[in-house]
Amino acid sequence: MFITKLHLQRRTVLKGLGAAVGLPLLDAMIPAATALADTAAAAKPRMIFVYFPHGAVMDKWTPKKEGADFDFPQILAPLKPFQKQLTIVSGLENKSAIAAPVHAITPGTWLSCVPPRISHDPLGGVTIDQMAAQAIGQDTPIPSLEVATEEQGGEGSCDRNYGCSYGKTISFRTPSTPLPMEHNPRKLFQQLFGQGDTAEERVLLTREDQSVLDLVLHDAADLNRTLGARDQALLDDYLTTVRELERRVQKVAGRDLKGVNLPDTPAGIPARFDEHMKLMFDLMALSLQANITKVITFMMAAEVSNQPYSFIGVADAFHPLSHHSNNAQKLDRLAKVQAFNTQMFANFVKKLQATPNGESTMLDQSLILFGSNMSNSNLHDHYPLPTAVLGGACGKLKGNQHLKYPDRTPIANLHVALLNRAGIPTKSLGDSTGEFTEI
Amino acid sequence: MKAGLIVVALMVAGTAMAADQAGAAPTADASPAPKAYTPNPHSVAANWPLLENYCVKCHNATDWAGSVAFDTMQPDSVAGEGEIWEKAVRKLRGGLMPPPGKPQPDPAARQALMASLIEVLDKAQGTYPNPGSVVLHRLNRTEYANAIADLLDLKIDPAALLPRDDKADGFDNVADVLKVSPAFLEQYLSAARQVSVEAVGNPKARTTSRIFQGSLEAGQYVHLEGLPLGTRGGLLIETDLPADGDYEFNINGLIGAGYVWGVMDLNTLIITVDDVKVFEQNLGGDADLTAVDVDQAAGVGRINARFLNIRRHLTAGPHRIGVTYLEKTAAESNEVLNGFNTVAGMSYNVNGNSDGPRIQNVEIKGPIDAKGVSDTPSRAKIFACYPKSAAEELPCARQILSSLAEKAFRRPVTGEDVEGALSFYDGGRKQGGFDVGIQKGLMAILVSPKFLYRTHTPPANTAAGAEFRIRDADLASRLSFFLWSSAPDAELVRLGASGQLHQPEVLTKQVKRMLADPRAHALVTNFAFQWLNVHGLQLVEPDPNLFPAYTPDLIDDFTRELELFLGEAFENDRPVTDLLNANYTYVNERLALHYGVRGVRGGRFQRVVLGDEFHRRGLLGKGAFLMTTSYANRTTPVLRGAYILEKFLGTPPQAPPPAVQAFVETQEGGVALTVRERLESHRSQPSCNACHGIIDPLGLALENFDAVGQWREKDIDAGAGIDASGKLTDGTRLHGVDDLRKALLARQDQFVQTFTENLMTFGLGRTLRYYDMPTVRGIVRKSANDGYRLSTLVLGIVNSDAFQMERAVEEKTRAPEQKVASREEPAKTTLFDGGQTGP
Repeated sequence: MFITKLHLQRRTVLKGLGAAVGLPLLDAMIPAATALADTAAAAKPRMIFVYFPHGAVMDKWTPKKEGADFDFPQILAPLKPFQKQLTIVSGLENKSAIAAPVHAITPGTWLSCVPPRISHDPLGGVTIDQMAAQAIGQDTPIPSLEVATEEQGGEGSCDRNYGCSYGKTISFRTPSTPLPMEHNPRKLFQQLFGQGDTAEERVLLTREDQSVLDLVLHDAADLNRTLGARDQALLDDYLTTVRELERRVQKVAGRDLKGVNLPDTPAGIPARFDEHMKLMFDLMALSLQANITKVITFMMAAEVSNQPYSFIGVADAFHPLSHHSNNAQKLDRLAKVQAFNTQMFANFVKKLQATPNGESTMLDQSLILFGSNMSNSNLHDHYPLPTAVLGGACGKLKGNQHLKYPDRTPIANLHVALLNRAGIPTKSLGDSTGEFTEI
Repeated sequence: MKAGLIVVALMVAGTAMAADQAGAAPTADASPAPKAYTPNPHSVAANWPLLENYCVKCHNATDWAGSVAFDTMQPDSVAGEGEIWEKAVRKLRGGLMPPPGKPQPDPAARQALMASLIEVLDKAQGTYPNPGSVVLHRLNRTEYANAIADLLDLKIDPAALLPRDDKADGFDNVADVLKVSPAFLEQYLSAARQVSVEAVGNPKARTTSRIFQGSLEAGQYVHLEGLPLGTRGGLLIETDLPADGDYEFNINGLIGAGYVWGVMDLNTLIITVDDVKVFEQNLGGDADLTAVDVDQAAGVGRINARFLNIRRHLTAGPHRIGVTYLEKTAAESNEVLNGFNTVAGMSYNVNGNSDGPRIQNVEIKGPIDAKGVSDTPSRAKIFACYPKSAAEELPCARQILSSLAEKAFRRPVTGEDVEGALSFYDGGRKQGGFDVGIQKGLMAILVSPKFLYRTHTPPANTAAGAEFRIRDADLASRLSFFLWSSAPDAELVRLGASGQLHQPEVLTKQVKRMLADPRAHALVTNFAFQWLNVHGLQLVEPDPNLFPAYTPDLIDDFTRELELFLGEAFENDRPVTDLLNANYTYVNERLALHYGVRGVRGGRFQRVVLGDEFHRRGLLGKGAFLMTTSYANRTTPVLRGAYILEKFLGTPPQAPPPAVQAFVETQEGGVALTVRERLESHRSQPSCNACHGIIDPLGLALENFDAVGQWREKDIDAGAGIDASGKLTDGTRLHGVDDLRKALLARQDQFVQTFTENLMTFGLGRTLRYYDMPTVRGIVRKSANDGYRLSTLVLGIVNSDAFQMERAVEEKTRAPEQKVASREEPAKTTLFDGGQTGP
């Protein structure tokens, strides 16, 4: 019976709502008008964490000169226009990422610096973006936004003992709650602006969402009566999530999007990887401008991404290329890929710089961490980490510095500093041994 | 501290190896002389000296290698230390311990120790029974889509609606890791809205644009299964339309600007709706070629315009829409003679040039002027009644929603269960009439956690730690998600509700009925595909310059071959050892050519029996396995060996330690070595050899298959003949895949046990623990009587306590563990993990 059943080839059979299409480029959606500015007098910076996998070719990343007016090797070069607000931090290590299944735990430890438990059922550390979301994200509809470009990387991003939780996301809300990252621009758009195609429809649906959530809470209470003690506790987690959503829906209902030109909802995932990455960056910029969120994490490519960068003439898949065996040609191609990633990031930074917000610009009010939790991808090591800090952070960052710390200084020290600069008092986290005051 | 010890262990291994090579006795180091003893398969105590002779050197109270110290343990406490000893059994069975290069015990003695341990552990199940427990179990997205299909006769693409689920032990249905985040919940709620609108239909649907984009690579000269015969190339679209009305087709960018390919030949493009032709238009030929040549872009524009704004009336509901070309007779062949067209008649060209105008982007816009909703399969399923007067509306709504809720919640429902849905009905009714009311009510059912979660409700007042039999209603769900990956049907729900399902005769009858049902195909596409990591095929992209025979269509072909191969074995209830040994397979013309099989024509898959000269018996000869375990540019015996160890033998190797030097790729301008030679260099290091001594020989035996699964006698890269010889840890000599297969069949119980472990993990939706192993072994032993038939294994699992019972667990804690002699309790490691074992 199985065999006579009609079967269709997957790749050429398309189902449901339609698949990827050319995207509406979102440049148009950032109007010259002022962004939806904070009303609070003392603005706290937005925090943005941009992660790239597979480290960097370090001699093409690290400036030779320390201190101010440092030089720009190939991979950093696209950030030159922002030197005044840029700090390169060298000499950092993240010990928590050291274990045999490297790729499977590298992303999830970048912002926590807590070695994860060896278990499919995850137990790691809360990441600093989520600490920020707790502190500064609560007055926006979405306390934090988690964004990616690929659902998952290749073999190795999961591990038999560690599972998949630490390899797919850089954001943990609690030690046991990894936050999935959205890679579909259409879903992300709907997450930001709601379902429905017109403003009117969105209002209607938002109202409906509120009663749906009431019903969900009611049904959950029903269900709870039939559960054992442990499952009741698990259902509590679910209820917390429902309430979080409820809060979000209320915020959404009350928000004012007059200052933002909303483009059409993207139809799906663009076929070209660079266009996809750009679209995600654009949506991030839009969400900041519309004041929908103040905290964003973004994985520019998946850990163990096998994405070829043919659009810049590099046909190799990213991950195999990152195992360059010190072959000069491969190193060149890898550096080209990495410089391209920096360029995509720089375009996003430029967009923030061009977005006025109150008296200054979005970039002046942002604190951005740009880096990787791996250093030499050929060796899978976690020292020295390529790390850059960018943005004005509402005047809390000096900028124009290349800081070189003693070898193997924990990156957690930087995280502590960043949280404090963002107005979130923090004494220590992970394996931190202090705080960088120079930054 | 620990790192230091590992180094010591390495050095010890190194010395031992050097000693071996020098021909000295393995006792050349300073340890005491081995104790003499007589192995006895029925007495652990009698075999204990083996541990002291071979294991305690590392696993002792000073070194604590792998957090185990056998010198702190006693033969008579094995029964209570299952967690440690189950791992020991696994390591012994797989030949993983002692590591290669270290002195090895006599095989008979090893066997005796293992047998005696197993005997004690199996008996201990009576003393320490533990059915385990599964936490609140969320539907994953595959189950969600299947449940929707059963409930509403509606096909949805779950990947477009819901986030991907995490996996544990290779499966995406493990309750522990199926978490809920705001992003998930948000998508889940919006999925309910979309699904309910699609199912009920929307007579007021606004015009929207759906764009379907096909592969950039699929051949345009190949018939696409599912499209009418006599067509070639193009796209098949399965979609649900919201309302009756006009829809506009736009086939975008058929021919591009610049150098225009493929217009020199006459092509006939057709559109079919449910296999009926609704549009036909020529493309290419002399006139078009002239237009392109003379008018350039303007000519291209005119030609493309013929395939835009094609308006047709379509009804609501599911349709199969084909946009494809008519095949001409062979006498006027369409085939373009390309310079490097490697597979005759298959027209894929590695240079990326089009082999004719590619149908790649189809837009369906509509409905334009929606005119109501015709009957669709979904509506037929939902509207069991339809009110003829206002007075009939509420009773009818109640009937519809109660019936939907019963199916969705997988149990009889009470008035309270449909209360919420009815109030949504009410709101919708006021807003847009009866249909909208039903749509809102349906949405309310789909958002409910009662649909989202499977539960095991304990009887009232169950104390923590106590065991209880799960309710028959819960058993019905467990059974159907196991065998169908979907919700139980009416018969199961009925038997669950009446409390009869657990009765052995009833249960057996139901299992047999379910296995015979087409829905049991989920065991192939969901269970077996995850077990064998078929998804991994999508992640390999062979280098077309090295493998001109590769076309992306092969990924589909390999997948389909495996699906049909497994399907036949499962459907006919064959012994699962057939999966290793069966001599039949399924191929279409393209795959037949790839395998070097003659006489198969066309795109349709056919069953073929292959002689031994093809070396394709069982899973080891299948392209899906061979390509998943390769890199873009070469084979990887390591991945292949590790795959065999994990998927077939159940003894997966450890991940490599950090900072290992990568595999030596051939340097540009350097001398090319065979993969074997390059691996040899790393196996000469004892620290690598500890694992690679086990992994590599398995993979090297498959070297006659290249990275895309084609047979080869020669390594083209290195210009050398293939050497597929090797020696397994037990001394078995291998020369190629046939020997390897025989070696695996010689340990068929190990293969069957591994299969059973995977099936049980999937069936229970939880990671197996040490206390499950006696059950697994029992099932395997029992199934040996009828040659390991699938249904016997399934019944064994279904009849086990692990499946029917549950241990009540206190809030947020795990099942109470037995005390183990371990310094640091690893937090819930799986069975297959061994902790860090020295090298």
